[in-house]
Amino acid sequence: MENKFDRGSALSIFGSDRKEDFMALVFALVIAFAVYFAY
Amino acid sequence: MVYTKKSPALFIIGIVMLAIWYGAGNGMLDGYMEHLAAGKKYKYGAELISIPLYFGILSVVIGAWQWFGSHTEGAWDYYSSTIAGGMFILLIAMLVRWFVAPEVAVVSMSFGKVGDTGKYIHKLLGLNYVVMGIVAGIIIVNVFRVPEWAKNGVRLSRLGLKTGVILLGTLYSAAELKNLGGLSIIMIGFFVLGSVGLVLWMGSRRGIPNSMGGVLSAGMGVCGVSATVASAPVVQAKSVEIAYTIGTILLWGVGCMFLFPIIGNLLDMSYVQFGAWAGTGILNSAQVAGAALAYQPDGIETLKVAEIFNITRVLVLPIIVLWLAVWYVKREENVTETVNVGRVIFEKFPVFVLGFILLFALSTTGMFAPANHYKGKYFDNSNVKASKMMTDEQIAVLTANSDKVVRAERKAALARLIAERKIASIEDDATIRGLANSKVMGKDSGKILKKAHKAVRHTAKKIKAFRKWITWLFAFGLVGLGMQITLSSMKQAGGQPAVIGGVVGLTKAVLSLVVVLLIVSETI
Repeated sequence: MENKFDRGSALSIFGSDRKEDFMALVFALVIAFAVYFAY
Repeated sequence: MVYTKKSPALFIIGIVMLAIWYGAGNGMLDGYMEHLAAGKKYKYGAELISIPLYFGILSVVIGAWQWFGSHTEGAWDYYSSTIAGGMFILLIAMLVRWFVAPEVAVVSMSFGKVGDTGKYIHKLLGLNYVVMGIVAGIIIVNVFRVPEWAKNGVRLSRLGLKTGVILLGTLYSAAELKNLGGLSIIMIGFFVLGSVGLVLWMGSRRGIPNSMGGVLSAGMGVCGVSATVASAPVVQAKSVEIAYTIGTILLWGVGCMFLFPIIGNLLDMSYVQFGAWAGTGILNSAQVAGAALAYQPDGIETLKVAEIFNITRVLVLPIIVLWLAVWYVKREENVTETVNVGRVIFEKFPVFVLGFILLFALSTTGMFAPANHYKGKYFDNSNVKASKMMTDEQIAVLTANSDKVVRAERKAALARLIAERKIASIEDDATIRGLANSKVMGKDSGKILKKAHKAVRHTAKKIKAFRKWITWLFAFGLVGLGMQITLSSMKQAGGQPAVIGGVVGLTKAVLSLVVVLLIVSETI
């Protein structure tokens, strides 16, 4: 499965878990701020 | 390598989404929605006329470009190629949430409620859109296979789950702990940590992978789906391990839910004893409520105690997530020298767990809802609207039926309610709920009491919005996760998780029963 993607892995589009974690953190904080100011 | 496939798939997905939006907005789906609502108001009407529109337009525009445009190798090609698969998962999640899960509920409700549990089969079996989303994914990958154009996007599911887990932190508040009794904190602390430790120990003895042991320990120790999903990325659990854990928890819970009331009756347990036992020994929230109501169908005292224990258990989740994060890093990295521990943990510790803890801390400060909220719900009788205060007619109905109330604390709470025209305190709120549930005052009074309860119970708008986001992110993540579960991977995982889950569940149920019988003497 690995060779199918020259970046990331079979489970993630990101090169490392830490990169995926940071992206998730960024998305979550963006949503949190949007909710905080919208409601 | 060029990842974007010149396929009409994303364009067609967009058209299907827009068709759903158009059909819902123009009344073409009204008849079907009425059928799915089963006599109530269809819950997802607002979602149907907004979400498919936004994502439909996005899919049609990008889909047309993917279909007719020319694509060259590069970062843009790589990341944009995931959109087709992402939208494919989202469309499945939409269909499951809006149509399949409500249809299953309609069929389940046609069979009526199960015994004294007061709940329908689908509730007791935990057959919600989350479980059905995983099943839909498993069916797609094993029966139809994931199409080539969607494969890159399926790898977005873990990102969706991690984002959802971080936001999950907003639903809990450490301030709620002070409302819980000391006994529940001690008992739950002991049994949650004990169960997690036992699963991890048994897992290593029986040679199951660390990831399987980790995710199963959180599931068996804390509770159902949220704990499993929250801990899965921490221990890098495989899709099949997550599905196994959820299956084990739900099946174990179903068995307990029917057995616990029988044993409780055989041992003649008090309401408090049974509530404490059910809240400790049963894993899934709906199943805890089902067992408590089965034990005491005409009151709410058992349910109240069981809920307190259940809430305490869920609030331990952040501690368990942290524990597993450290445990997993140490096990996987084979850290033997203490000097290495700090460095390895710093390098390998999952950053999204810190995000979860950060939002949990912010939620505890009262930033999103009053600090003592639990999942966004809180008691507040200071701002009851004039329209929600009890009317003269309602007071007259309650006064006329007040003689039927026998128990002193219920009489007192009712007297205060009549005098103040609203529920006087959080303790009275629980008592009035119990009175309404007992039906001793008749149907009309019961309705009035439930209205009075609703008037002082509030849901924070921000938390409601967070719940929606979490719901969609989990639905998205779990459908994608199901698409990674092949039959061969299920065979590979074998039956070990079910064996370990059964042994640990049984140990916890028996030990907590002994502890409850020895320690809890309070009776109602």
